[in-house]
Amino acid sequence: MDILETDVLIIGGGFAGCWAALRAADLKATVTLVDKAYVSRSGASTMSGGITTCPLDGDDLDIWAEEFIVRGSYMCDQRWTYQLLEGQRERIKDYIRWNVPISRGPDGAIRRFASRGMVNVRGMQYQPKVAMRELRRQITARGARILDRLFITELLTADGEWPTRSGIAGAVGFDVYTGQFVVIKAKRTIVATGMIAMKGTHRVDNDCGDGAAMAFRAGGRLVDMEFTFGGTFNVLLKKFDFPSYNVAVAHGARLINARGERFMQQYDPERLERSELSHVVAAFAKEIIDGRGPVYVDLRHVDDSYWTDIAKLHRGGSILLTDHVPDPKTNPLAIEPTWGLWASGRSGLQIDLGGRTNLYGLLAAGSVAKNDATGTHASAGSPTAFCKVSGWHAGETAAMESRESQSPIVAQDVLKLLQEQSLAPLRRTPSPKSPDDLHDDLARLEASVVHGMILNGDRLGRMLQTTAAVTEGTTTCKAHDLHDLAKLHEARNVATCAGVVYRSALDRTESREQFFREDFPLTDPSWFCWHGATLTGSGDVVFDRKDFPTEGVRFVPPEPEAGGLGPIGAIIRGEG
Amino acid sequence: MSSTANGKLSINLDTCTGCSLCVLACPVDVIRMDAASAKPVIAYPRDCQVCYLCEDDCPTQSIGLSHDISNSRRYSTYDEFDLDV
Repeated sequence: MDILETDVLIIGGGFAGCWAALRAADLKATVTLVDKAYVSRSGASTMSGGITTCPLDGDDLDIWAEEFIVRGSYMCDQRWTYQLLEGQRERIKDYIRWNVPISRGPDGAIRRFASRGMVNVRGMQYQPKVAMRELRRQITARGARILDRLFITELLTADGEWPTRSGIAGAVGFDVYTGQFVVIKAKRTIVATGMIAMKGTHRVDNDCGDGAAMAFRAGGRLVDMEFTFGGTFNVLLKKFDFPSYNVAVAHGARLINARGERFMQQYDPERLERSELSHVVAAFAKEIIDGRGPVYVDLRHVDDSYWTDIAKLHRGGSILLTDHVPDPKTNPLAIEPTWGLWASGRSGLQIDLGGRTNLYGLLAAGSVAKNDATGTHASAGSPTAFCKVSGWHAGETAAMESRESQSPIVAQDVLKLLQEQSLAPLRRTPSPKSPDDLHDDLARLEASVVHGMILNGDRLGRMLQTTAAVTEGTTTCKAHDLHDLAKLHEARNVATCAGVVYRSALDRTESREQFFREDFPLTDPSWFCWHGATLTGSGDVVFDRKDFPTEGVRFVPPEPEAGGLGPIGAIIRGEG
Repeated sequence: MSSTANGKLSINLDTCTGCSLCVLACPVDVIRMDAASAKPVIAYPRDCQVCYLCEDDCPTQSIGLSHDISNSRRYSTYDEFDLDV
């Protein structure tokens, strides 16, 4: 095995991991950045649609913060909200300095528009692929070590226990091309592995919740996991990928039902299609259930810049410019959303303002972390803003703390055990199910938007049985090669995360925000809190509830009202 | 024309220079380099998610992607409700 040492180890090379690497390297820490794919082309960052929250000098951030906080139902840490906005303002300047292409108006000023879900908060459109390439260049120039195609299988604990009582001492994994087992001992480890999601639904198939699952197994505290459920309108004509719902509605796209009605007028007359995605998806479900489907995206009213930008800024958008689909300038096109594991900050590892998790030595950044700046409501553009800013702070904290820390010591027999566990599936006898079969079993849990949105105890119980069966399947599944081995570890990680999501959903006996249980349809004020889940040494999951902080509160939440239907329930039951 | 195609992805090996940028670009490890020919091979076609990253990064426009449904694990709510689109 190869044994490497570093001050700061960062797992995941998307926006969050790269900004963490950049900041830690600027502070003169030795930095190792690893990714199971190629740093700058991995995860959701390059496919993020290219919208990010765009505060500029001179904007009154109080107005922006208020909208995030109020629309997020005050379920956040308001200090994080300000940290996000102030940090993002600086990171936008980095983009400008690096000449990342940004959509601009005729006067040369950045073209800003109301973010989806927002009225006052503004976003901009830019080229995420160029931004990622530039980030890699910046990190390399600062002397950070980048290890591509290294699949991290487990976090290294200082005491060789999972969950640990001592803390995190780095991570282990294997080279996807050579199979070489690699140990990276680190004074501080940052997980930045992106969203908790399944393979198959969103075209971001290497976001499998790896970091959340590994941290959870090591004792990391995941919060609000039942809010992991999410989605977007991304399936066109049952057959094609719709490039970006958020971009389209920012330019004036509408949704209409089979009767030609702009049905969002009924559910959110102010923001219409730019409402919270969960509300739009619930409205979609309601239209389908009530027999007014299919639902169409109507691009006949978009502004001209949509058509020029879509060709220029988003390659996937070119489907709309081909003869594969009826001319969208004259024909509405049938569209549908997905709904399932798709976190982007509504749930995940809870971090403080410096990016620290509950485990000594472990930090988190980006979509694997709970975005406490916006609560469970993430508007278009705020997840990528959170990636930048949380990455920046985690990199800074890790670099500063590593100066005072000794290199961790880990027993050789622990490393040998991890090597054996990581590579064992290659030596197994053929199994009835392949890693692909296990991913298929998991993906079927997300088959129905309607059932994913309208939860109940029975259904959640069955979903848990599936994740338990998949988890069991991963212990006997044969991996035929290293590519297969990576997918097997991913299946284990998806199943770990899904299990915590469904358990958390069972534990929450009420409905609020985008979470709706038909067996507990009312909002219960006692659930106005963070909902934590932690693994115990005996393998049980324990839940906790923590109040939102009172420190730094500028916008005081109103007294909670008891007994009302949550917003999804109101839409589904026709009371929206 | 010499080319390799598998499912949604095709590579024109006549115009391909073997620069391997497509191999780097693929987030899900679909494309590998063939050591003997020093050209890319579509090693794991099932995993292609049609993200266009390889096509975008190819300096000689040697990669073609079909726009058809990108993933065999994707399901349609319209099928569940027997809605023809």
